[in-house]
Parts: sequence; C-alpha cells; structure tokens
Amino acid sequence: MHGRLAQWLKFLKTPVPVAPLITFRIIFGLLMAFSTLRFWWLGWIEDHFINTHFTFKYFGFEWVQLLPPEAMYALHGLMFIGAIGITLGLYYRWSALLFFLTFTYVELVDLTYYLNHYYFVSLVSLLLIVVPANCYFSLDVYFNPKIQSQQVPRWAIDIFKWQIGIVYIFAGIAKINTDWLIHALPLKIWLPPHSSLPLIGPVFNWEATAYLFSWFALFYDLFIVFFLVWKPTRLLAYLSVVLFHCLTGLLFPIGIFPLVMIGGTWIFFPESFHQKLLDKASNLFKRATFVPHKREDNQKVAVVKTPKYIAWILSIYFLIQLLLPWRYLLYPGNLFWTEEGYRYSWRVMLVEKAGTATFYVKDSRSGREGVVNNREFLREQQERLMAYQPDMILQFAHFLAEHYEREGVYQPQVRAEVYVTMNGRPSNLLIDPEVNLAAIKDSWRHKEWIIIAGREF
Amino acid sequence: MPIKEVSFFHLFGFFVIVCCSVSCTNDDQPVIPDFDRSAMLENYANNLIMPAYEQLFTKTQDLKNTWELFLAAPDLTGLENTQDAWEAAYLAWQAANAYNFGPAEEVGLNKSLVEEIGVFPVDAAGIENYLSQGATDLNNADRDTRGFLAIEYLLFRSTNDVLLNELQATDRQNYLTAIIDHLNDKLEAVVNAWPAFKNEFIENNGTSVGTSTSVLYNEFIRSYETIKNFKVGLPAGKQAGQTGPEPDLVESRYAHISLQTLKAHLQTIDAIYYGKGLNGEGIGLHEYLQNVVGGPELITSLEIQWANVQAALANVPTDRNFFELVEEEDASISALHTELQKHTRFFKSDMSSLLGLAITFSSNDGD
Repeated sequence: MHGRLAQWLKFLKTPVPVAPLITFRIIFGLLMAFSTLRFWWLGWIEDHFINTHFTFKYFGFEWVQLLPPEAMYALHGLMFIGAIGITLGLYYRWSALLFFLTFTYVELVDLTYYLNHYYFVSLVSLLLIVVPANCYFSLDVYFNPKIQSQQVPRWAIDIFKWQIGIVYIFAGIAKINTDWLIHALPLKIWLPPHSSLPLIGPVFNWEATAYLFSWFALFYDLFIVFFLVWKPTRLLAYLSVVLFHCLTGLLFPIGIFPLVMIGGTWIFFPESFHQKLLDKASNLFKRATFVPHKREDNQKVAVVKTPKYIAWILSIYFLIQLLLPWRYLLYPGNLFWTEEGYRYSWRVMLVEKAGTATFYVKDSRSGREGVVNNREFLREQQERLMAYQPDMILQFAHFLAEHYEREGVYQPQVRAEVYVTMNGRPSNLLIDPEVNLAAIKDSWRHKEWIIIAGREF
Repeated sequence: MPIKEVSFFHLFGFFVIVCCSVSCTNDDQPVIPDFDRSAMLENYANNLIMPAYEQLFTKTQDLKNTWELFLAAPDLTGLENTQDAWEAAYLAWQAANAYNFGPAEEVGLNKSLVEEIGVFPVDAAGIENYLSQGATDLNNADRDTRGFLAIEYLLFRSTNDVLLNELQATDRQNYLTAIIDHLNDKLEAVVNAWPAFKNEFIENNGTSVGTSTSVLYNEFIRSYETIKNFKVGLPAGKQAGQTGPEPDLVESRYAHISLQTLKAHLQTIDAIYYGKGLNGEGIGLHEYLQNVVGGPELITSLEIQWANVQAALANVPTDRNFFELVEEEDASISALHTELQKHTRFFKSDMSSLLGLAITFSSNDGD
C-alpha cells in the first residue's frame, strides 16, 4: 500500500514539458483581465458595491467589509494588474497572489453575487500561485534566464485537470435527480423564452428539446473529462466542449464562463500542440531572448523541485474539494429546497427558484407589528437571491432587528413569510412564519425553522 | 472495429436514443403552444399604453384650458371647473402611471415620468417657498414641489372661498401656470414619442433584461408595490418602525379622492394582467401564463387571491373620507393591506419564475 503511494507520488513528480501550463496561464490571465474590464465597463462595480446599504456575509468571513467606492475601484484596478502579470509571467507569483486576493476579496464582500464560476476562478488562481507557470515564455524568464525550465513536475499541470474534472463531474452528479431527468425541469421553463431567437428559436418550444438538453448535459458533465483525457476521443470531446459552452453561453446569462471552459480545457491537449502554439507566438515577438532555449536543450535544464509542504497542502486541498459537495448528506430534507450545503459544490444552473419574502418587525412592548419594504435596504438582485436562501433570510432579519432597534422599536422581533416556487410548482412556505428570526444564531447545524415536511420533491 | 470508433460516437448515439425514447412519448408535440410575445406587446402598445397616454394628455390639456379661463376671469365656477379638470386628469394618470418606460424613462437630467409628475406626498412648504420667490423656471431637483400633486395642493388646499381669494395673487397664478405647463410638456413629449417607439417595443420580443416584456413586467410589479407600500401601507402605519397611522401621507391629501385613485390604479393593474384595453380583453400576461409550464395552476391560485383583493377594496366604505379611515385605523384598510400583501408573491416571484423574466432592470451574470 505504502509502495503504491510512493509510486503515485513519484509519478506525479515526473518531469513533463511545461507548455500546456504556459498556455493555460496565458489564456486564464487574458480572460481574467478581460473579465475585470467587462465588469467595470458594464457598470457592475457601481451596481454591486456603491450606495449599497447592506451586504450579505459569507459564514466565517463576516470581517470582509464593503470598502468605499474609490477602494472598490482600486481593488478592481489591482485585480486587472494581477491578471496582466499572470498573462505576461511578470513577477508571476506575486501577480497570481495579487489576483487571487483581490478577486476573492471582491467575491467575499457580498454573498449575493456568489457564482460557481467565480468560486472556480478563485480556486484556479489559488492553484496558480503554487505552480511555477513563469518558468517558460514569460517576462520573468526574460529578465532572469536562470529560472527557465522547459519541464515541470507532472502535478503542476495535472492539478488543473483535476480541478476541471471536479467541476464537471460534480455538476453531472448533481443532475441525477427526478426533476432534471424525468421532468426535464427546469429546462422546460428556461428554454421556451428563447423561442424568439432567429433560426433555432422555435425548437425551444418543443418538449423534446428540453429532454435532449437535460440528458445531453448530464452525459456531457459526467464523462467529458474522460473523453478529453483519452487521446482517441479528445478532438471530438473538445468539439462538444465548444458546442456545449457556446450553446449555454447563448441561452443563459453566464458571462465569460463559457470562454473560461473553452480555453481552460486546452490543458488536456498534448504538449506538442501547446509547443506549436508557443513557437508561433514567439515568432510573432521575434525576440530570441524571450524564449532563450530551443526545445532540444531542455534535457539540461533542471526541473523545478517539489517541496514537501506543497504536496501536503495540495492533498488537503483536493480532499476538501472531493468532500465538500457531499456535505449536504448531513442535512435532512431536499437539498434544492433547503439549500443547506448547496454552495461550493458545482451545482450549476440546476433549479428554477424564486421567492417573495415579507418581513414583519414587532415591537416587544407595544406589540405593534409592521411590514418591511425590502427595497429600502436591498438592491433588486440582493432581494431576489435572499428571498429563497434561508441563511440570507436570517442575516437580513438580524440586520432589520438592529436597524429598527436603533429606530426606536423596543426589542424588535422579526419574522418572515417566505413563499418560494421551485421548478414551476405552486409556491410554498419556506420557513416557519412564526419564528422570531432575531433570536436565532446562524451555524453549520440544520436550521430547524425551515419547513421540510410534506414536500413532494 | 477499432476502439477509437466504438467510443465517443457510440456513446453519443446511445444517449441521443435515450433522450428520444424518453421524449418521443409525446411525439415532439410542443409542450407549449408557440406563444407570440410580439402579439402581446402589440396589444399592450395599441390598446393599453398609447390610448392611456393619449387620453391622459387630453385631460391635462383640458386642465390647462380651464385654468387659463379662470385666469382670464377668476370666479368660483372657474375654480370649480379647474378642480374638476384636475380630478379627471389625475384619474386618467392612474391608467398610465404603470408605463414608466420607453419614452417615459429617465434620460440625462430628466427623471422618469412618474418621478417628474407623480411624486407624493408633496412638500407644501417648498411649494410656498418657490412660488413666493417667483421660481417659475422649476430649475431645481425638488420634484415634490411640482407635478400633479403640487397642482392639487394649490387648487384644493383650503375652502373654495379662501382659494378663490388667494388664487388672485400673481405669484400663485404664475407658479400654477408653470407647473401645469410643465405637466403638459412632459406628457406631450411622451405621447409624441410613442408612435415612433412602438415598433421597437413590439420587435424587442425576447425575455432577457431590457426586453419589452421584461421592462413592462417589472414596471407592472413596481406599480403594484407602489399601491401596496405607499398608497395603503405607509399612510395606514403598516410599515415596520411606524408607531401609528400617518394620514398626511395619503395620495390625494387635499382633494380627497384617494380611494378613487386607488381603485383606478388597481383597475390598471387588472387591465395589464388581463391585457384589457380598448377592444376588451386581448393578449396579456394572463394569456402568456396559460402557455407556460405551471401556468394554469398559478392562474387558479392567483385569481382566487385577486378576487380577495377586489373584495377587500369593495369593502372600504365609499361614504367616508379615506384620510379619516386611515386616521382611525379602520379595519377595512388593514384588511385591504393584508390582501394586497398576500397577493404579492403571485405577481412577483411566481410569475417571474414561470415566465423566465428577471425581476431586475440591470444586467447580471448567473450560473
């Protein structure tokens, strides 16, 4: 057993050509730079972070505060610089660290904007910090040729394949449920609104299309990584990556995620493909010094060593990645309804939910109870996402209790009547409307006040 | 057969077959009869929105004319005619105030039409201040000192004897003339812009953020919530933090037609839902719902609650002043507020979810 492990570790440390990692670094850096500019240009920094009264916190990251407008813009500026640094391989590790920290900070500011693909970006940039992706075709090499190496230990490339694999496979596993497979929900709801698209539009009104898409997406997510790894199927698999992500990008507002996947999965292509790309790119620059050594010389170049602590950190990292999506099993009730253990698990575009949450604040002395106008404190998107997620409902209730106490309400009791519709079914109460939320503390434990009994799903 | 060929093609073929066998039980019947959103938008434009604005503009022109007649020869009849013209115009506004988009939306320094001419409560002290300064250019950001309800204040703030007397003063006359002209200018711009905007409105028939259906739907929700929160909830002291009713916040504080305007406004919500316009019931959100997954079930529960709202509204005494009912915390007002609150989810989250419309005016990524 111990021998197997040692063999496996040895295998992971085998030197392999670095080229796939280099293209990955450049594509990721460029896309992130583009994404940051896009976010800025669309006015989303202002939409999300300026004139916002209240932000929803991540459990354990309550200390991450919304910063003043200038600082939010500055953070995005630094993020852009980090992304460019990653692309060029300039002060590479610092750039990756800068990008990781700024990007993650911005994400942590408000839980409202949690998206699986932002989580993915945070994770990839974290992984980029630990790999020597600047040891070839980078400005760091240009300025300091000594660090050049055309080979890296195998793990430095494979961790990205594993990460992508985890995303797809868990996204696939999540689709194994009655609504998705047997009822083709929510696609039966999501596709018809696209019937006005030119040419292919009418197809989205067919029931068959919703079934075809549901099942295709299931097989795609479950198996695509294996087909990408296996040489005979790789090209066809990649074509389906392009097809799949173009289609989802066309139909759903998922930003640059399709591009990230279409570019990111290049890492599954062989070294020769990447080397050709890089050779072409360096011809463009016509700077011999930029890529000082020809491929033939690479035997002489020392491989970057793998420190032991990196092995430990990565093992723990991937263990967490593999376990986290299963934590929902520790909670009772239907995961899609309660959302306990829902995040960080690659449950992507899986369920159609919407809610109306009406909060009531009661003065403990006078007994007078009033209705809250949520929009007084929340942005449209904050209200929309809060209205079906129990942990956010609780946070907002606590905010209301504090706010109205300051306004002179004596020991405010806050309750909420929350009706949620899921996959087109008639809406139902999500939580006990009589519970005083102000008296409840959030924790990892099951929220007893979620109504889970008697659900048909 | 080489391994290469067995692999992907076969698997792909396999699941295409699986998919077909699952779905072909329905023989490729569209689940959903092809719903024509353009036809719905056309009904809204031709039979609801444009007629509402045109009707309203005639009424505000009437107001302007009667006011000018009064100016020429101020007497009690002239005052009463102007007051009547205001009431007619303001009731007509209730049929148009939900269409706060397209030509009515915010552009540059101009706020949206509702913010420009429909703000309440008005700032009485502010109005007095501006008119005493002769500030008839209205070149300020205090939109609660002009519009329909500032006109109401000046035309109804006291007994007609007092009013007849004070409306002889030039500063009051000039200010009223200025804000009546302002009202007409704003409406004229919108009325004139709609015919040109109409095609764009009908052709923008998608469902994403910024499309006509999405914008119309979002304004519909906003309008409905205005009724619930600001026309009923706030004056009745139903909002969190309030310690009692605040009748001064009722919509028509001076002319006391709050109940009529409330009814007119809710009737507009009803008309939008059913697509009821010039030619009776046309294609509206109701028909759209009939054509989506889960729609018929929603319609059933929605309409039961909508009937409860109507019943609660009918229960509000018409022989009493709305202001006083609110002040006395009359049970009928409470009941109306509760029913409106209960109805919210049907219009808001249930409908948006089934129709695939985002409850938002700004774009965003999802996953």
